[in-house]
Amino acid sequence: MNTNNIKICILLASVFLLGCDKVLDLEPTDRLSANAIFGDPKGVEIYMANLYSQLPIEDFTYMKQGFNYNQSGPNNGGQCASMVTDEATHSESGSGVGDGDFQWWADGYKLIRDVNILVDVIPTLKISDQERRSLIGESSFIKAFAYFGLAKRYGGVPLIKNSQVYSGDAESLKVPRNTEQETWDYVLSLCDTAILNLGDATGRRATKWAAYALKSRAALHAASLAKFGNLAPQSGIAVTQKLVGLDAFLANNYYKAAISASEAIMKSGKFQLFKPTPANPQEAAENYRLLFQDPNANGASVEAIFIKGHAIVGNFQGHNYDIWFQPAQTANGWPHPGRMNPTLDLADSYESYTNPGKSAPIVTTMDNNTNDYNGYKPSQNYIRYNTPNEIFKDKDARLWATSILPGTIWKDKTIIIQAGYVKPDGVAVIRTSANINISGTTYYTYGAPNTSLYSGFDGFGGNNTKTGFGFKKFMNQLSPIVPGWNQSTTDFIEFRYAEILLNFAEAVVESGTGDAIAAAKAINDIRRRAAHKVDIPLTVENVQRERKVELAFENKRFWDLIRRREFHTLFNSSSMHSLMPLLDLRALPDTKYIFVRVNAPNINPRTFITRSYYRAIPGIGSNGLVQNPEY
Amino acid sequence: MPLKILIMNKLLLGLFIISFVLPSCEKDNYDGPTAGLSGTFIDALTKQPIEQDIINGTTIELLEKGYNPVTPQYLIVKNNGSYENSQLFANTYTVRPVRGNFIDIPAQEVVIKGQTILDFVVTPYIRVKEANISKVGTKVIATFKLEQNVLTPIRKISLYAHSDSRLGEGMRLVVSEKIINVASVPNTIYTIEMDLPSNSSTLKPGLGYYFRVGALINVPEAKPNYAPAVKLVI
Repeated sequence: MNTNNIKICILLASVFLLGCDKVLDLEPTDRLSANAIFGDPKGVEIYMANLYSQLPIEDFTYMKQGFNYNQSGPNNGGQCASMVTDEATHSESGSGVGDGDFQWWADGYKLIRDVNILVDVIPTLKISDQERRSLIGESSFIKAFAYFGLAKRYGGVPLIKNSQVYSGDAESLKVPRNTEQETWDYVLSLCDTAILNLGDATGRRATKWAAYALKSRAALHAASLAKFGNLAPQSGIAVTQKLVGLDAFLANNYYKAAISASEAIMKSGKFQLFKPTPANPQEAAENYRLLFQDPNANGASVEAIFIKGHAIVGNFQGHNYDIWFQPAQTANGWPHPGRMNPTLDLADSYESYTNPGKSAPIVTTMDNNTNDYNGYKPSQNYIRYNTPNEIFKDKDARLWATSILPGTIWKDKTIIIQAGYVKPDGVAVIRTSANINISGTTYYTYGAPNTSLYSGFDGFGGNNTKTGFGFKKFMNQLSPIVPGWNQSTTDFIEFRYAEILLNFAEAVVESGTGDAIAAAKAINDIRRRAAHKVDIPLTVENVQRERKVELAFENKRFWDLIRRREFHTLFNSSSMHSLMPLLDLRALPDTKYIFVRVNAPNINPRTFITRSYYRAIPGIGSNGLVQNPEY
Repeated sequence: MPLKILIMNKLLLGLFIISFVLPSCEKDNYDGPTAGLSGTFIDALTKQPIEQDIINGTTIELLEKGYNPVTPQYLIVKNNGSYENSQLFANTYTVRPVRGNFIDIPAQEVVIKGQTILDFVVTPYIRVKEANISKVGTKVIATFKLEQNVLTPIRKISLYAHSDSRLGEGMRLVVSEKIINVASVPNTIYTIEMDLPSNSSTLKPGLGYYFRVGALINVPEAKPNYAPAVKLVI
């Protein structure tokens, strides 16, 4: 429910719930009493809907500008968190993490105030004990979620545990920052309160399981900061006061918390992987795609622990993934599709079925050199393929379900992604619009005669992929897109069972504690769902690869790079890479394709600077807080 | 005439009149900054400037007196070790170079009035000496010696290439690196090679590029030390 509806409801309620019996028994007329709202189940529903709508869930409406970026014309070019990681690049510009990006400060404390108001009145409400416990549990979950959203961005933050009362002195409302450790410990203790009080049903509102899942994720985050913080040391007042940073010795306790929270979910029997034993990779790819297209359909909800729904279209309601990220050929009149370009770097990471347990970089030449990004060379001995996607034949099903590969079918159309051709004389024409007539047949560099018939490499409007990969995960294949703002209603799974398995495996392998056999089984179960038949051992590298490909584009990679302090080494004047399919006319009359690995064209290299491991706290001049390092 | 346009015109007229009736007043016309600070990072032993990075390099933190809390200002340093900000407000500042490529020095109180000059005489973590960068066949080969002034291991040595002379760790087209993680050995000749054919799309044959050698000490937040850049036609 959006805030306007809530305001209207409250306004109406305030009109209808008036009236007093005695003249001297006056209730204030400009506000509702807590019992008026919370004593009525409908009132609770309205208030809770408002709180849930403010939860910092990084779904399809989470963009560089922040959360719930789906009002009127959210025209930011579709710049989202995946595009600052190695998962994707934007079709128009290289994109780093700016100081003002992905902020959540004032909105965070607004949610905390709103939930604290509820927390304060819970003991006074005339409701059953059962209802009271579930309100305590739900409000603790929401508060934990809010402080987690703050802690991972800012480190230690002021912990405001009850609502503040303004008594004319603004100074008294200013609360200094707590240490980062205190902040994480508070998040975990709120999770514990939620777990203790929430019922074990499943559903859309917070459950015991959602609280365990949050604890699993938050504890793993804190553990990683403690373990890997020394990879990117910082200095300054915030560091000496321990407002940012966690001591290394804290890591194992946090890992243990992540292990036990994950195990609680794994042993509950309430959840499982969706379609865990597909017969073949094609089936696995389709299952995986269906899970994200609609987590409520086909029985997919067995994997979903906590879902954010998008029930209706419009401002504050729908989202824009389908319009921004649709291939140009299926844009259906929308002028700005094709923005999300999955990288070759991500495609390389997926395993192949013949050589399990390793990333399988895409080999394009007879000499197997996958480090040459210098472009087409006539003298190079390229491997010739019969179709534009035969090169991916042996790759993990999830590559096929996450990206639209050249020459595959999407919405009943063959998606054409071609960067150029090699003329019979060996000269290549790449990324220019051209055609050539050979023996009565016309061949086009981009694979088709005009911009509505292909989806790759033409710079036209920024509508075509620059990497050779289109975006598929989360995209709704069922209906043509509606070419307008906020028209998509895909639901987003915030916590799913596969993430819990991955959290568990990572906590076990990083800490060297816990059940290593169960942890190996966890990653192999996920691989089995992707049609892998050969088990691989539990290693740090295997867990991280599995996490990267399984959770790709779920806005988890950004935080994985943050918490493991890998961002600044991965992005140090670094280019992302593309795979250019070329039609090789030297092979006529046969139709053959070759592929060239290149730096993503016209995209600046990216550098992640270490201060970005923490966001800058806004409004230091008035709130008097100690700023994070180097801001 | 439609009502909307009438109102618009009246509004515009109103604004026009206001712009005459309400001229700016003296009280909020502050003077612009009149002072400045400039100087150079100088090697205490050799008396030579210490090479730096302009992007993500050593910074100078300025804390202006009279504000609490105070938002620090950061000055960046040019590659040749000099810096300048000619647009500061005259005041007393706490000045301290931070996250540099030299042994830490304490903060100092500086009265900045007019164009003030402040050199920092410091000891670099590493001196990159006798650097020679030349093209040999299809490679660019750099040789140099390292002299370190702290006991910490050297993390890596690097050869950077860029079309711009201000190249370094934060700005390069191509880099060849060796991870070392041991202390340097005096008088050893270190060598790094950069293969040109395998970088042919970024370093185009026949054009001139800058090359620069750097060495990074394994100290938290340290920046690399450099030898001066040289230009080669490849």
